[in-house]
Amino acid sequence: MTKLNPMAQGATDMPDVAVEALTHVYESASGPVEALQNIDFVVPAQRFVGVVGPSGCGKSSLLLMLAGLQRPSGGRILIRGKPLTKPEPEEIGVVFQEASLLPWKTALENIEFPLKLRGVGKAERRQRAEALLEMVGLRGFGDRLPHELSGGMRQRVSIARGFSQDPKVLLMDEPFAALDEQTRLTMGDELLRIWGQRQKTVIFVTHSLTEAVYLCDEVLVMSRRPGRIIDRIDIPLERPRTYEMMATETFGRLRERIWRSIRKD
Amino acid sequence: MKGQHALVQLAIVAGALAAWETASRLGAVNPQLLPPFSTVAVHAAGLLTDPSFLKHLWVTVSEVLLACIIVAPIGVGLGLLLKENEYLGAAFRPFFYFLASVPKSVFLPIFILIFGIGFSQKVAFGVFQAIFVLVIATIAAASSVPAELIRVARANGATNWQLYREVYWPAMLPLILEGARLGVIFNITGVVFAEMYVSRAGVGSKISEWGQSFNIPDLFAGIILVALLSIVVNETLRWYEYRVGRWRV
Repeated sequence: MTKLNPMAQGATDMPDVAVEALTHVYESASGPVEALQNIDFVVPAQRFVGVVGPSGCGKSSLLLMLAGLQRPSGGRILIRGKPLTKPEPEEIGVVFQEASLLPWKTALENIEFPLKLRGVGKAERRQRAEALLEMVGLRGFGDRLPHELSGGMRQRVSIARGFSQDPKVLLMDEPFAALDEQTRLTMGDELLRIWGQRQKTVIFVTHSLTEAVYLCDEVLVMSRRPGRIIDRIDIPLERPRTYEMMATETFGRLRERIWRSIRKD
Repeated sequence: MKGQHALVQLAIVAGALAAWETASRLGAVNPQLLPPFSTVAVHAAGLLTDPSFLKHLWVTVSEVLLACIIVAPIGVGLGLLLKENEYLGAAFRPFFYFLASVPKSVFLPIFILIFGIGFSQKVAFGVFQAIFVLVIATIAAASSVPAELIRVARANGATNWQLYREVYWPAMLPLILEGARLGVIFNITGVVFAEMYVSRAGVGSKISEWGQSFNIPDLFAGIILVALLSIVVNETLRWYEYRVGRWRV
């Protein structure tokens, strides 16, 4: 799309996502709770950034805010320079945790769903959904209902759905958390393959350190509540990533470094 | 396996009818009180071709239908309102749960005082019978919509209307239909009961009349027809419920 507008090429220096002094306080029965404290980070275009942290650190709040589903109490989020105030599905796609497929829709209809909400015509959305289904390797499974698919296949459908509006940025909220170890590894490779083809900017929330190192260019470590960014770790492993890299010393060191950051907190 | 079950079920029905027939014919039961099945069947067939009975049947059917048409939007609407509006819900929900447990038949005399004994009283009583279960089912249905699905729709830019149409409604429909099915049964019960209590028209009034005048074959025929009608309605709704709820596992 940017190809149509040569002027837009000049904007490549602008990060896809910029989070500035993001703070969130919510009211609870026992008084105000500070969930996020002064979060600052930028995600350049096409970078794969992971967010890890202990449970209850506000990762999910942060993600809801990046999806435009929750307003922060302070600070702001810029999507390619533009402040985010509501969901912008053409800019940001979201792949949620398991069980977020509409159970009464088939795989294909689920992938079409975001397009349907934006008023894309039937023929076009079917065509785009078919292509995405193929992209995630589920050709021939389009007519299945979610409960007729395995956990890994359901997550493939979720990923395809996240791509359906062809957003620049993809938010992923522990998408593989409910999968078994083997499926998880396969899905990670699948995700990297698709990411390599489609050139997306990814923000990937996970609590698996191995997954974070394996998938990401950079990992942000969050502290316990109130959630702050306490460490940023570059992952200099070359791409494409391979399973063998997990056994290398560098991989182990990076994983160790993240773990120490979390534990120190 | 399924065919085998159907065969067994058919055999049970045939056996019961044969037992009924022979018991009555051999005088094991008083044929005055329990006429043979064949006699009852002939009377039932006769009723279905008797224009004056068909008129009564139509009165009952139209009372039930009208009550359904009235109660469906009100029941579902009230259920949604009581679920979505926190203030109203907290204030009024308990009354619905309390009233649902009271036998509605005790209110029938009040309906006669308000509406008289005609068509509108039967419809009103049918509505009254059905509304509680429908409201409660709708509240349960609305509470069952998973938060993740709402989030997915919102994140993809759904408007309120789209959220309702694409997420709430399909998620709620099987549970609402379950309530609606019970509602229809209560509705039929209410209408027929009101007709039996005091009325000049409707199947209920005929059944009550036949009972009092000791016209036993017609009484049994009437009972069987009402039973068949209710079963057909119930099974039709159940089939539809299954069809739209196949995704529920």
